[in-house]
Amino acid sequence: MKIVVLSLIVIIGIQVQAQTGKIPKGFISIFNGKNLKGWHISRSTHQGTTPNFYVENGVLLAKENPYGQGGLLMTDKQYKNFELYMEVKIDSFANGGIFLRSNEGGAAYQVEMVLPGSTGELLGERIQVSKGAKATDREKVWKANDWNSFKIRMVGDTPHITLWINDVQMWDVTEPKNDMIAEATEGMIALQCHWTALYSPAAGNGMPLIMWQPGATHRYRNIAIRKLN
Amino acid sequence: MQKQIFKMIEKIFHTAALILLFESGSLYSNAQEVTKQNAAIQDSLYTNGIGMKFILIKPGSMIVGKFQPTVFKTSQTPDSVYKVALEMAKHDAMPGFTVTIKDAYYIGQFEVTQEQWEKIMGTNPSYFKGGKVKDDPVQHPVENVSWYDAQQFIKKLNESEKGKAVYRLPSEFEWEYAARAGATDDITWNEIRKTAVIATNTTSTVGKKQPNAWGLYDMLGNVWEWVEDFYNEKIFADPIPPKNGKEHVLKGAPFYGDVKNATYMTHAAGPGSKYDVGFRIVMEIK
Repeated sequence: MKIVVLSLIVIIGIQVQAQTGKIPKGFISIFNGKNLKGWHISRSTHQGTTPNFYVENGVLLAKENPYGQGGLLMTDKQYKNFELYMEVKIDSFANGGIFLRSNEGGAAYQVEMVLPGSTGELLGERIQVSKGAKATDREKVWKANDWNSFKIRMVGDTPHITLWINDVQMWDVTEPKNDMIAEATEGMIALQCHWTALYSPAAGNGMPLIMWQPGATHRYRNIAIRKLN
Repeated sequence: MQKQIFKMIEKIFHTAALILLFESGSLYSNAQEVTKQNAAIQDSLYTNGIGMKFILIKPGSMIVGKFQPTVFKTSQTPDSVYKVALEMAKHDAMPGFTVTIKDAYYIGQFEVTQEQWEKIMGTNPSYFKGGKVKDDPVQHPVENVSWYDAQQFIKKLNESEKGKAVYRLPSEFEWEYAARAGATDDITWNEIRKTAVIATNTTSTVGKKQPNAWGLYDMLGNVWEWVEDFYNEKIFADPIPPKNGKEHVLKGAPFYGDVKNATYMTHAAGPGSKYDVGFRIVMEIK
């Protein structure tokens, strides 16, 4: 009996956690809250090839592994025109991001996620982005030490990208040209855990510790997508 | 005014020449060293029937997978966090293991080019061909080839050169031993930038950057290179590679790579992004 009650408590607990937040109407979940089905680790990004992405209580967590080696968790599918939704809770001093139209090696448009810092900024990872954008109004809507929602729309052969944080539009950018390698017009969604350490001090200093402090974590839930024409 | 500038430049050159004269002893010995190295490379060069150049790699040993993660403290990080980082780095450090290369082998001085691929296969699967690059694309590495495609190329090359040589992909350790060219520790960012095509958006003509100490070009950068081994899904290779697996190992980093992964220590794996994966081959010594 005790075991049954305990199990019920655990199950209810998991469901409460997983059901917090909401996927917008018309979106399809691409993270099942149980495992990494539909996703894979990039084995060819400079961020690192063995990051620790795992699922706990309906939440996807990202950590470095081994020490100082980050990485990318990517969708198995490629997307061209889409709206992406997710809720994010990030530790301070941990640099991650949402990669858009990424290739397998992690060259992509990126919405940066770092605190303190430029969370919501549009950047390029391994590509030169013609026109960046800053989420200058982010702090007005940001919930500190809590879940915050990101919605990103990306459409067009020449990318037109829009970001909303907590349902408030931060920016809307149309690039003057497609900056992707090989002029790719589709790619994977990827979540980044930044690297900090080189393999040996002989190579150099590596990244300052603030790029991903020891044990820091990024958390994601309710990841969903709506394909657009 | 112009004349004055020319005179000034002339003076600077004269001074530089005088300094060089004083230093001539060391210059002479450097030149001798370079000549000796070139002679050694020339002795060990082999060119096959389709113009592929190979360099002889002599037996030796190296340490693979030595992990000494760096911890870079700046003023923004408190001492307490730095201390934790040091402990974690120490905990995760790995001594690596010794790999002995028992037999000499020849390895391609360059990545297999689009031209060489076409000579053997009659097609060119590469993305960066035609108007996609500014110079002659056929001298760029072939890419958009799977591990199995590379095996097909090798099979056909072996048939065409029958009796003269036996070709295959390098093992990961043969590749890394040749890429290290005697280096016992990791490569510096300075050296990477001199020798590797990275941080750009297309492949490059092979051999545009400086060669490594054994005369091999583009071991790092330009395209990822397939090796024979299956991938073990770990940060570094195991002393004995797995007998099977989902993917094969990639070494060397792509043209859009970073100084972080354009090192001979990087142990990556397929599938890659198609246009960023090529290979070089080994010629066995019977």
